[in-house]
Formats: sequence, C-alpha cells, structure tokens
Amino acid sequence: MDNLILALGWAGLYGPMALGAIGSMIGCSLAGQAAAGALLETETGHGRYIGISAMPSSQSIYGIVVMFALNRELTLDNAPGLAAIGLLCGLALMFSAIYQGRSCASSINVSKIRPEIFGMSLAPAAIVEGFAVFAFIFALVISAGVPV
Amino acid sequence: MTHYYTLVTALPNLPPLAECKQLPISRIALNKRLTLLSDADLLQLELAEKLYHQSEVSLENLPDKPLVLDWQRQLEKITSPSIRECISNRLEWQTLLAALRYRQNGSSGPEDFQGFGRWTQRIRRNWHDPLFGLDAALPFLGKLQPLLNKGHSGELEYQLNQLLWKDLLFVERSFQFTLETVICFVLRWGLAEKQIKSDAKLALATFKRMSEQLLGTPAITQHLESAFEELS
Repeated sequence: MDNLILALGWAGLYGPMALGAIGSMIGCSLAGQAAAGALLETETGHGRYIGISAMPSSQSIYGIVVMFALNRELTLDNAPGLAAIGLLCGLALMFSAIYQGRSCASSINVSKIRPEIFGMSLAPAAIVEGFAVFAFIFALVISAGVPV
Repeated sequence: MTHYYTLVTALPNLPPLAECKQLPISRIALNKRLTLLSDADLLQLELAEKLYHQSEVSLENLPDKPLVLDWQRQLEKITSPSIRECISNRLEWQTLLAALRYRQNGSSGPEDFQGFGRWTQRIRRNWHDPLFGLDAALPFLGKLQPLLNKGHSGELEYQLNQLLWKDLLFVERSFQFTLETVICFVLRWGLAEKQIKSDAKLALATFKRMSEQLLGTPAITQHLESAFEELS
C-alpha cells in the first residue's frame, strides 16, 4: 500500500508536465493541420496561422513550472497531496490544450475567409488559455500547503 | 468520427449563390484536395453527390417507380443522418415539382404517381388541390407553383437552389471539420456550378434571340444585302 501511495505521489509530481505535454501535442497538431490547409488557400499572412497553431504549447510550460513547484522529497505524508494537485492540474492543462487547439483551428478557418476578424476570432482560444492559467496559478498557491 | 482539419481549411469560401458568378475552385483542383478523404468517406461523398445532383440521363432512363426504389436503396447507404436528411429534403422537393408538372401536363393521374418521401401519399390524396394540401407544411411551395404555371423554369430552379443552399449551409456550419462539412461544401459547389452553367446557357439563348431579332429588322437586312452585292 505504501508503495502505491508513493507511486501516486510520483505520478502527481510528473503529471502536470506529462499531461500538459500530451495536451499540447494534440492541440498544436489540430491547429497545425488547420494552418497547413489554410496555407493552400491564402496568398499572404501565412506566419500568423503558424503562430496561432503554436498557442497550445503554453500548457507544457505551465506543467513544467508546476512540476518544479511540487518537487520535494517524497514521503507517505505528502504523496497523496502531491498526487491530487499534480494529477488534477495535469488533466486541466491537458484538456485546455486540446480544446484550445480546436478553437485555434476554427479561428484559422474563419479568418481565412475574412482576414479582418482574425483578432476577434482568437478570443475563444484566449479564454480557454485563461482557464489553463487559473489551474496553473492555483496549483502553485495550493502546493505551498503540501508538507515538505 | 474522422476529422479533416487540413481539408476543411483548404476549401475556399463559396460566396452566396446570388453573387456566385465564378467558381472559386475548379473541379480538378477540388478533386485533388478531396484525395485527403479516406476511401470510405470518398465513397460516401460520391454517393451523396450522385443522389443530390441527379443527371438528366439517369432521370430519363428509368421509369419513376424503379428510380424511387433506387433512391431509397442508395440513401440507406449514407451513414450520416444529417446528410441523409439533406438529400431526402432535396429528393422530396424533386417529387413535389414532378407532381406539379405531371398535373399541369395531365399526363399522369394520382393513382400512377410515384414519388419519394413523406409527401407522396398526401400528394395522391390531394391531387386536385393546388398545393396538394401542403400550404401550411410547405409555404415555399406556394412561391414555386406560380413560377411553374407561368413557365419560368429558370427562376423556379434558382428559387429552389436558394432554399437548398441555405439548408446545406446550415448543416455545414453545424459541424466542424467533419465529413458532413466536406459533403455539404461539395454539394453547394455543385449548386453553384449548375447555376453558373444555366446562367451561361441563358446568356447564349438571349444573345441568339437578340441577334436573330436584330438581323430580322428591315434596315439591317437591307444594309447587309447591299454590302453583299457590293462584294460580289
């Protein structure tokens, strides 16, 4: 049982990083595929499509920061807390990256038709990013309460 | 469900049907992009196109009953319920127009009438009613019937295409990056192509009529005759 608790603790420690990276991979891939299609249809503004498709990569960076914030000597006392914070934060980052990728793909699709709405079409992706930031910040805040 | 992120964003924007004077992508270029579809989805697209845009040859070669049975059989192979509904809607309108034409020609009675979809029984029952008793269910039919009676088949086709275009656009926007989006786009592309072709035919017919009228006027005929005499 102790080993299981410790293993969960390790999963919590590495979870934000791994799950955030999985989310970023999927999100960037979705937005990147949409950007690739838009390149065929447009004459200019290719750089901004590629730029948008990299938006979901921020969740990986948040995951790395949370991982460092949680990093401490693992004991039976702090392992459950680390598992709970790390895994839940990781899941939040993963889903936000995937859905941000989908928002970015839609944004690319509509701004290809009407380039003037490019900025406005990015609002949904920015809002999703906001929720990832919430998960990130409060993971940092709450990690202070986990015994060292 | 397969998602087609690259393909959907690689499809150009089709302007509203009324403003569509030129296709934004040729069929050859469109087909090249459609190679991104999986084999099974490509078959679905081909089937949907075949049912939605009936060729004149296929309509002329078969009597009504086997044709309707063939439509029903083919429609069952379409896996997406939304696309099936779009195609059914299209075929039902075709049935309604066929009924109006048969009744106008007097070539067929209600007992011989064969049609597709939910209105067929109602058409047979209310054969002598101007709108087959569908005034409330299909108010748009009331708009089409006078056009048919006046023989304005071009305007009738345009009005119907407008309605079908809106229907397809609604389904296309209800899905994102899926096969339904691609199929609706291709079907809209087909409507636009048909409209542009019919515009070209209409323009040619108008030109011929005008040139015949012009050449028929005595002043021009005289002028031409004198020019030919001078030449000879």
